[in-house]
Amino acid sequence: MIIVIDALNRDRFSDLVKEMFRLRARVFRDRLGWDVTITDEMEMDIYDSLDPAYVVSLDQDGHVVGCMRLLQTTGPHMLADVFADILEGEPPLRSSQIWEATRFCVDTERLSRGSRATNSISYVTSEVMVGAFEYGRDAGVLDAVAVIDPVMNRVMIRSGNAPYDYIGKTVDMGKAHALAALLDCSNERIDRIRTHAGIDGDVFLSDAEALSLSERGKALRTESVKSDLEIYCDEQIANATTAKERVDALRLKATLVEKIRSRTDVDA
Amino acid sequence: MKLIDLSKIPHSDDRFARFLDDVCQSLEFDHASYATFNPISGAIQGFANYRTDWIMHYTRKGLHRIDPTIHIGRKSIAPVDWNRLERTPHFQSVFNDAPAFGVAARGLTVPVRGPYGDVGLMSVTRDCSDQEWHLLKKKVIGNLQVAAVHMHDNVMSSDLPMAALNLPVLSTREREILQWVAEGKTQQDIGDILAISHRTVEVHLRSARTKLGALSTPQAIGRAVGLGMIKPG
Repeated sequence: MIIVIDALNRDRFSDLVKEMFRLRARVFRDRLGWDVTITDEMEMDIYDSLDPAYVVSLDQDGHVVGCMRLLQTTGPHMLADVFADILEGEPPLRSSQIWEATRFCVDTERLSRGSRATNSISYVTSEVMVGAFEYGRDAGVLDAVAVIDPVMNRVMIRSGNAPYDYIGKTVDMGKAHALAALLDCSNERIDRIRTHAGIDGDVFLSDAEALSLSERGKALRTESVKSDLEIYCDEQIANATTAKERVDALRLKATLVEKIRSRTDVDA
Repeated sequence: MKLIDLSKIPHSDDRFARFLDDVCQSLEFDHASYATFNPISGAIQGFANYRTDWIMHYTRKGLHRIDPTIHIGRKSIAPVDWNRLERTPHFQSVFNDAPAFGVAARGLTVPVRGPYGDVGLMSVTRDCSDQEWHLLKKKVIGNLQVAAVHMHDNVMSSDLPMAALNLPVLSTREREILQWVAEGKTQQDIGDILAISHRTVEVHLRSARTKLGALSTPQAIGRAVGLGMIKPG
């Protein structure tokens, strides 16, 4: 599911924004080897301080599994500056009806390689795109110029979402390359992506829904701390030197399991 | 959409107000306003076609200093429907008295970001049902985006230092395509000649119109010829 985070609601979603910056660090520095600035394991640049809009995909556990950053091309944006090499010194496009999409990525560690499951790379890639195009379309935007890497380009081509053209040239960003693709924010494209990925209905979460999904996810993850407890119990069992110690350790574990199970039942 | 071209009107005091009237007329809104933060002086400059007594009230109370449609609206990249604005004390201060002056709290603010950190906000209102508002937004949102950037760029270039910064810089592709249009080629022809999609041709034309401050392609051609960027067809 998609939540659009911008400067109007960003303070409500600071945890999700941090998680998104951490995902970006893993993708753009670790996987693609782009020359990006990392602070506290988070990838952020000056464009993040210019009040962009983020299209963020959350999985069922409230994790950030995909994201994209949007800026107007009438104002400061990356192709005008950082990615100027792509345009070979040419001035960038400027229109209130063209937005720039950058830092488009999905979490390939958390997502599966299958094709149609909602937790697959291709589904989440498509979902982020549908979210961005519908958000843009409703804002009166007709096209997007997206700075992407060649792998993302291939995923898009295979998801019924091939760019209709490219501008400038592909440039070296370190281990991987970057290129600028043109995509129309049209209903035809949105329908094509939706059909291909099997996305039905509204992809957008309200602020309240996104918050509750994120909170629920956090609560679930806190419960996984119990696996540390479990490790402790197992260690106690393994390290027991006498029969009594061993029985006590087994009893402790059984009691804890029972208590935790009954709590989960109550929650359910 | 037929809007008056601001750059064609002599620099009189009321040309921006006339443009706002024109926006209301052609896009079916009750009222329109525009505000900008001057990036050099920091002052808020504005134009509006609200009733004079509302403008007096608004100015006297200094509501521009707290108006959320301006101060919150500027942080968005997409048009902000006023129903998205939280009903804060500032919102109440601005809008509680508004109905008495014939101003509806049903509105939309289109933020425009310029290249030098300049921001302009065009707001429109209409007193109507939810359904009507929804349909109207859908119908005119694209034209409203075009009108907002036209207004903003013209206000910016009415300021001398900003005008010097805002000379249009066209790409080779944009000049090339304008040249072919000037010579009477269709977008489809041009796509074939340059071996690019006709949508790419349209994207470059749209960008060239914006950079040249033109509302239509013929205006853009006229201006590009005038600036010596292309040859007359």
